[in-house]
Amino acid sequence: MKFSYQQAVRALILLAFSAMLFKLHFTGDITKFINPKYVGLSQSASVIFLILFFIQITRIWSVKEHSHEHCYHEDHACGHDHGDAAFNSKKLISYMIIIVPLLTGFLLPAKVLDSSIAAKKGGMTVLSSQKSPQKDTSTPEAIDTDDNITQGEETAIDDNPVDPGLSADQKEISQEQFDQLIQKLETTPSIEMTDYVYDAYYEEISKDINKFKGRKIKLNGFVYKEDGFKENQLVLSRFLITHCVADAGIIGFLSELTNASSIEQDTWIEANGVLDVTNYNGMELPYIKITEWKKISTPKEPYLYPISVKLL
Amino acid sequence: MKKIIHMIDITGLAIVGLTLLLFSYSTGYSGTFTIPPSLLNLNTIFLSILIEALPFVLIGVLIAGIIQIFVTEEHIQRWIPKNKVMAVVMSCIVGALFPACECGIVPIVRRLISKGVPLHAAMGFMLTGPLINPIVIASTYMAFGNNFKIAGLRMGLGFLIAILVALAVSFLFKGSQLKASVNIETAHSHVHTEKKSFTNRFWSMLIHSIDEFFDMAKFLVMGAFLAALVQTYMPAKALLETGNGPVTSLLVMMALAYVLSLCSEADAFIGASFSSIFPTSSILGFLIFGPMIDLKNTIMMLSVFRVKFVMGMLALVISTIFFTIMLLQSFL
Repeated sequence: MKFSYQQAVRALILLAFSAMLFKLHFTGDITKFINPKYVGLSQSASVIFLILFFIQITRIWSVKEHSHEHCYHEDHACGHDHGDAAFNSKKLISYMIIIVPLLTGFLLPAKVLDSSIAAKKGGMTVLSSQKSPQKDTSTPEAIDTDDNITQGEETAIDDNPVDPGLSADQKEISQEQFDQLIQKLETTPSIEMTDYVYDAYYEEISKDINKFKGRKIKLNGFVYKEDGFKENQLVLSRFLITHCVADAGIIGFLSELTNASSIEQDTWIEANGVLDVTNYNGMELPYIKITEWKKISTPKEPYLYPISVKLL
Repeated sequence: MKKIIHMIDITGLAIVGLTLLLFSYSTGYSGTFTIPPSLLNLNTIFLSILIEALPFVLIGVLIAGIIQIFVTEEHIQRWIPKNKVMAVVMSCIVGALFPACECGIVPIVRRLISKGVPLHAAMGFMLTGPLINPIVIASTYMAFGNNFKIAGLRMGLGFLIAILVALAVSFLFKGSQLKASVNIETAHSHVHTEKKSFTNRFWSMLIHSIDEFFDMAKFLVMGAFLAALVQTYMPAKALLETGNGPVTSLLVMMALAYVLSLCSEADAFIGASFSSIFPTSSILGFLIFGPMIDLKNTIMMLSVFRVKFVMGMLALVISTIFFTIMLLQSFL
């Protein structure tokens, strides 16, 4: 019997990957990385890693000419490293690189994206363009069909809006349910931007700002500021995650608040206000005149996820 | 020699120790030492790209393992048309039907080439695989306001561009272009596989998948890290503000697609958010280029192919997309 360190190391790495994914799911931190809709995929990855680990451990202890047992490519015809070849510094570097994400995944806390990322993602340039009135110049067709501009997803309307994480298990809503949701937005005198409806409502309000002018609105978000803002201006922003935080997009409302300059960036606040329209660098933007607000702690589910409406 | 054995000893023990340490730490992290928030942002984005990619990479290496063990050179020779153009068209169609992700497709393509699939056919498959599949079509459709125009153009133009690039590859490059260390496949190495039982073959398929994973993993990690680095420290804003005019805006959007290294299922929403800053043609450049080749994917290709070929491929894809879109711009 011969003990192979390299095979052992590989086994451990596989186990560590499985464990890291498991840990993220177990602690719930996984939603700080990916859209809960895709949680199942990464859970299966964790299981596959575990299976591969169990297969790999059989290779650690071996009879001398073990490679004939499992692998009939005695001549290394398959062209990759089976972990039997002599260890060298090049391999050491490879393994070091592979364990980097394991180390940082276990040791460093998951961070909720903050305003510095919002700035890197384009900040107001993106925010003010999303609702640009000149949209028609580029895609004329988009205008006629806009009653179905839908990307968010949720099931029942009376779903518990406080915990959007649960929406991961929701099945897609039908077009009808979605229309009901929008209907509700159009008739309600005071709009409540829960995580559940945020993206859909945001999209709808941006489309026809004047229609919603004067309505009351309640929302939360983190404070984002940019050069060129007035003393009393800030953006109440959120990140929208399609798949993982790498594709986070910033959405949010430019708002007016008397002592905005005293509020630090990244402070989470909950606010009530009145919707208005403003002009920002020549673009019409929804604008919230905040009437009352309070600081809140960072929500357990800080991100928004788009809605997917069943197509067929 | 003794030194090497010592090294193995030390590394082995160190990693066992480290893993144990990780387990003990992982629950009790209290944040006693301060890390700059931008580094934590970087780490979060880095891990999220990795977590997002891992399932697809695993599927990729499993399929590669299946190809290695269950598909023989004779199969490939029977399936692939001798005619270059036919082979390219067929491989692009197979790629379009095959729901892959750009991170999972590299190990599959590598395995296919070493099994004797001609390079041009493999490239056609690699370019259409991540770009054209039902999930991507659906997400593009939804991201652009339930409008089929962009989704249709993305698939149609993407398919055309993939064929053009694969044809160009067939004229410009000879041989497998695999790295010397990878390219040891010989035609007679599988003669004795027939004798093995199914369970045996299944087992070696899994073993191969593990080895394939370790071949791929370091490049995946480096690619994810680079992409995260760019996202954390490069201001997209500056880039966005430079993009005026059809040429610059197309180049800006293609550059963005490359460095962001988004998954093809998710990039439509990001692309859509730029649709009022840039004309449709530039958005299409973003949507077509991203899934074909991006930063993360380039690094992974470098693990398999010669540097010269990867660079050539990159230049080919960029120029083909650029000129096709510029040509068709007035119709979009």
